[in-house]
Amino acid sequence: MSRAPALRALIAPLLLILLWQAWASNLPARRHVPTPTKVFAAAYELIATGELPLALGQSLLRVIAGFAVAALIALALGLLMGYFRAVGRNVDPVVESFRPIAPIAFLPLAILWFGTGTPAAVFIVAYAAFFPIIVNTIHGVRSVDASLARAALTMGVPRATILRTVILPGALPQIFTGARLGMGVAWTSIIAAELAVGAKAGSGGSGGIGQMMFVFYAYSVELNSIVVCMISVGLIAPAIDRGLLWLQRRSMPWIEDKR
Amino acid sequence: MLEWYRYHKKMGSASVRRRAVGGILGAATYARAMLFFLLLWHLVSVWIANPVLLPGPLRVMESLFQMVASGELVEHALVSLRRLAVSFVAAGAIGIPLGVAMGMNRPFDDIVDPLVEVLRPISGIAWIPLALFILGVGDALPIFIMFYGALFPFVLNSYAAVRAVPPRYADAARTMGVPRRRIIANVMLPAALPGILVGARLAAGAGWMSMVAAELIGAPSGLGFAVEWYRELLMTSKMLAVVVSIGILGYTIDRVLRAVQHRMAPWSPAVRSEQ
Repeated sequence: MSRAPALRALIAPLLLILLWQAWASNLPARRHVPTPTKVFAAAYELIATGELPLALGQSLLRVIAGFAVAALIALALGLLMGYFRAVGRNVDPVVESFRPIAPIAFLPLAILWFGTGTPAAVFIVAYAAFFPIIVNTIHGVRSVDASLARAALTMGVPRATILRTVILPGALPQIFTGARLGMGVAWTSIIAAELAVGAKAGSGGSGGIGQMMFVFYAYSVELNSIVVCMISVGLIAPAIDRGLLWLQRRSMPWIEDKR
Repeated sequence: MLEWYRYHKKMGSASVRRRAVGGILGAATYARAMLFFLLLWHLVSVWIANPVLLPGPLRVMESLFQMVASGELVEHALVSLRRLAVSFVAAGAIGIPLGVAMGMNRPFDDIVDPLVEVLRPISGIAWIPLALFILGVGDALPIFIMFYGALFPFVLNSYAAVRAVPPRYADAARTMGVPRRRIIANVMLPAALPGILVGARLAAGAGWMSMVAAELIGAPSGLGFAVEWYRELLMTSKMLAVVVSIGILGYTIDRVLRAVQHRMAPWSPAVRSEQ
């Protein structure tokens, strides 16, 4: 029963690769056109020289740094906003006003403030990851069973302790959902930030996978290598998500994840 | 179909009225919070005392009005909105039928799903360099990137919505001899509509987000281009005015789609949870 779908699953990707190869090799000789075989060779070369792992590592470190900043602020603020209605009511309008602004729109400002190096990229990542985390934290806190908090309150537990021992654990699953969403947008926005920095700062930019792609586009014109970068971007994104999911299962085995 | 539409419309208008009362109180809180934020911003800008790094809110407002009055901002916004509209419609026209077909036909799903799962994690933004090479700087690049960003929310939400329709709806229609085409049009699509509309909102949001990146890098016009243009000129207040209008427009687009959601599917969980 499981064999037929597994075989079918291979049809479309294989067909795509075959069509791509056929299309590319029937074009009049243009050395730039990427083909699966050339992409494979480029991938091998980029990994062997260590260029690709280095760039991916740089981008990942930025994502982690930006994500950590966002998580720290969003978690603290989200807990307060969710737990104290007054804080929620008064801070929410500001958060909601910033939410529809695309993270990349702040990139020029970040470049003005921090230059074209790592801090600007980290700023964009933090901005992007902030919103999913805070929205889910607030929602998680508000969906904690109120009678649990009340029970603790009647027994004379101080509010700060309730926040830490009742509300936070109760909201954790939802917070984790926010973290996964935040990580997703963080990875997207690091590519955008590095690309844009690369585009505007020239080859003297700050590295990372996005910058690498732009250099391949604008300076050395290696489309095969661009495709290699795209594929690795596409491989890293689900890998990060799987990692977070694994972490969630390990740290909170009592939660049934709905994926 | 008209019957249920009218019925739900009536139900919907009652809840809208209830919301409007909360709206006035909400507006007062909103204004207070934003005034406080603007005051803070103003104080920080006075303290920094460098309008290139951080112009105050008043200066940004001034630039905003000035750019609206000169028609410059409207021009950029119209370019971006037109691109969004084209890519949104194209993504919906391809994404919804694809998602519905995948949700209703298992073998088709088995074939197409791997392709979707392979392409989806490659964010639209990662396509920019390759697309720049193929399409060049211009109108086609941002439209393609926005289309790509908007496509997957459409596909995934239509797919999930169709899968969530209780099978007995279609079964009941089939027992009564309703042809397949009409089951899709009169049973599956109405039942899946709330999910599809959620997909539309997500798609518009994703498209709007990719717009800024795509225009910033590869277009000679539009709001994303304008942001970067004013940075290069070090006219930070104009730059922030464009950023503000990106936010306002993004919010307005979502409001419009939300209103569409209220009108077309007032019974959907997404509409109810707001009340």
